[in-house]
Amino acid sequence: MLSDVTAEELMSFLNLDTRPDIKGQATEYILGLSGNRDGCRFLQTKPDLIKALVTLTTDPSIAIVKDCYHTLINLSADETMHRLLVKNPDFLPMLFKNILDPGYMFADRICTILTNLSRHMKTCKEVFKAMQEQGISLAQIVEIFCTEDYNKQASLHYLGPLLSNLTQLPETRQFILDKDRCVVQRLLPYTQYEASTIRRGGVIGTLRNCCFDHVHHEWLLGEAVDILPFLLLPLAGPEELSEEENEGLPVDLQYLPEDKKREEDPDIRKMLIETLILLTATKVGRQILKTKNVYAIMREFHNWEKEPHVVAACEKLIQALIGDEPEPGMENLLEVEIPNDVEVKLKDMEAKELEQLEKDKEDLLNPDKAQHCAGIVRMM
Amino acid sequence: MQYVCPTVLNLQKTDNIREFNKVPMFMKTAPEDIDPLKHPELAAIQSIIHDDDRPLGEQAQSLKDEGNEYFKERNYKKAIVSYTAGLQKKCSDCNVNAVLHTNRAAAHFHLGNMRSALNDAVAAKKFKPDHLKALIRGATCCLELKKYTDALQWCEEGLKLQPTDKKLLELRAAADKHKRVAERDARKAKVQEKKERSEREALLAAIKERGVKLRMPPPRPKRQSESEDGGYEGASKALAGLDLDGLCSTEATGARVFLGEQGIIYWPVLFLYPEHQQTDFISAFSESSSFLDHLSHMFGEELPPWDTDRKYSFKNLQVFFEDEERESLHQVNPETTLLKTLQHKRYFVKAGTPSFIILVKGSPFCKKFFSERKTYLL
Repeated sequence: MLSDVTAEELMSFLNLDTRPDIKGQATEYILGLSGNRDGCRFLQTKPDLIKALVTLTTDPSIAIVKDCYHTLINLSADETMHRLLVKNPDFLPMLFKNILDPGYMFADRICTILTNLSRHMKTCKEVFKAMQEQGISLAQIVEIFCTEDYNKQASLHYLGPLLSNLTQLPETRQFILDKDRCVVQRLLPYTQYEASTIRRGGVIGTLRNCCFDHVHHEWLLGEAVDILPFLLLPLAGPEELSEEENEGLPVDLQYLPEDKKREEDPDIRKMLIETLILLTATKVGRQILKTKNVYAIMREFHNWEKEPHVVAACEKLIQALIGDEPEPGMENLLEVEIPNDVEVKLKDMEAKELEQLEKDKEDLLNPDKAQHCAGIVRMM
Repeated sequence: MQYVCPTVLNLQKTDNIREFNKVPMFMKTAPEDIDPLKHPELAAIQSIIHDDDRPLGEQAQSLKDEGNEYFKERNYKKAIVSYTAGLQKKCSDCNVNAVLHTNRAAAHFHLGNMRSALNDAVAAKKFKPDHLKALIRGATCCLELKKYTDALQWCEEGLKLQPTDKKLLELRAAADKHKRVAERDARKAKVQEKKERSEREALLAAIKERGVKLRMPPPRPKRQSESEDGGYEGASKALAGLDLDGLCSTEATGARVFLGEQGIIYWPVLFLYPEHQQTDFISAFSESSSFLDHLSHMFGEELPPWDTDRKYSFKNLQVFFEDEERESLHQVNPETTLLKTLQHKRYFVKAGTPSFIILVKGSPFCKKFFSERKTYLL
């Protein structure tokens, strides 16, 4: 690594007054360091670094500002750096100051940094607090997220995973699920947003986390929100279903064209299925999913899916849908044609495994466990 | 016009109420037209409102109030007149103008003039982009006009200003629902269309396979000239449209050739009886049936009323088809199937409906008929 003297010199170059070419080389070097673990360790020992980087984001040279942001992204990707970053009193305010600016060309980088920082609960809380202190509301974040071309120079796709991370906090879930507003409804169409996997995944993660709260399920599945079609559409394929089966589906899933494509990211597919499984936690939810012929969609999906971890989730869902509920009028489900391979697999599940499933379900529903968080992003 | 003091009431008169009603202050409703002779006071008050030198903004306000009064009475037409007059003042107060447009929009809405209502909502928005009532009205109009995407747009704008407005949330949910139903209907229609198209194609393929030739009606100017393949392309278009029923209008029954069970084609067939200028229409003649099968039923026990000579018994009947192009007549053995006959090298199915001429063997009409054209007898 660098000697202390060289390190000192390097730090001294990181201020606005330095000659541009030297400044540029210094920031480039720092960026390189931030890209690997050892480099990060080293930078961690330099508390003035964050301060310098924050200041340099106001530098007139775009290249320098870019390097600063990329460095910050890399640093934020390292969990051990979070304390240091957040401790700097200007860091979070600086990020939030610019995020709502429709002309700010680095808005996407800000979103990425915030996503990285909000991954774990502790820093997530700090991020949320800082956001509020800057006078920025969740309403505003959702507003700019849902406004097409809000920022001509930034796609703001990373607001998706940011929102998803923020839903670890009950306040965020409360806002999104506010019955007197139209928030979750505005996010729903993005479950099929083709142009960005990031945005799509972020929204679906958000919905998944929101579904941990059972109390909202009936409202979510009801007419005011109607979440079901938006969860099913990415899983539905072009396979032709009989007229009878079609008429039993939610309106948006009826008569899908032959060029209908399924969600291409397997992790997102799994998330969608997990969300549906969450919705089967209540009797009401199970009832609704059964009545709306979700089984037909999942049957075709099961035939098509190749990834084992997604298939497993699918089978869990199907089990919940055709599970043995001794309700009157539900006996007809036994007459449902279950494809042979699924039937075999289901039969193979011993009682012990069924028990494990129940336990897993409980864990899944525990808000402190297994919450989806957006992945860490690195830049080189 | 000068202001005139109200008439002094003679309280001893029996029709007090009527007298009261003549005094502007006590009027319950305004008369439709204010006749200055009958209601001098009202006319005077009205003139204060209308022909005056007050600032434009004030005048506009008064007209707005006047319009609102008419609106309350559900006299929407009059309300519109007042609001229009208010707008014509072209005062500089954006608020008043926005309200005038919004209120006029509401009046139009209640009269069912959706487009005018929408135009007014748009205009109101221009004057005051944050006028919530205008946004709600705009959304409502779009919903009525079935412009669901636009309705959603209006709702979104409104909710930005007032995120908890119940009416907007309601409208948004309704517009969203209708939009998705409309999309489903479009998809369903597409699926139906595809199904029908493939059925048509299967039918045409079956017809072609049998070597049956179709002749379509003369091509319309825009289309290309008749295709080489025995008219199948044109036929497809015709089957798609309603050209198949381009027979004599009395036979526009909507019956069409179709592919039935076990791959059997059923044709709508016409039997022509030129002797008596009569026709019979068989809506679904199986290609594997023979003419005799039908004729023996149609001319078996009971003969048709137009057969005045009682000679059209099936045993006496002969079947022919006409080759229009060559103006000739070909005899058909009644025991042959329809299919076999259609496969005759000079048989062309016209307008999707095979037709055949039925004559009585050896009749004078028959002889005359033969003499007029080249006849190929069996």
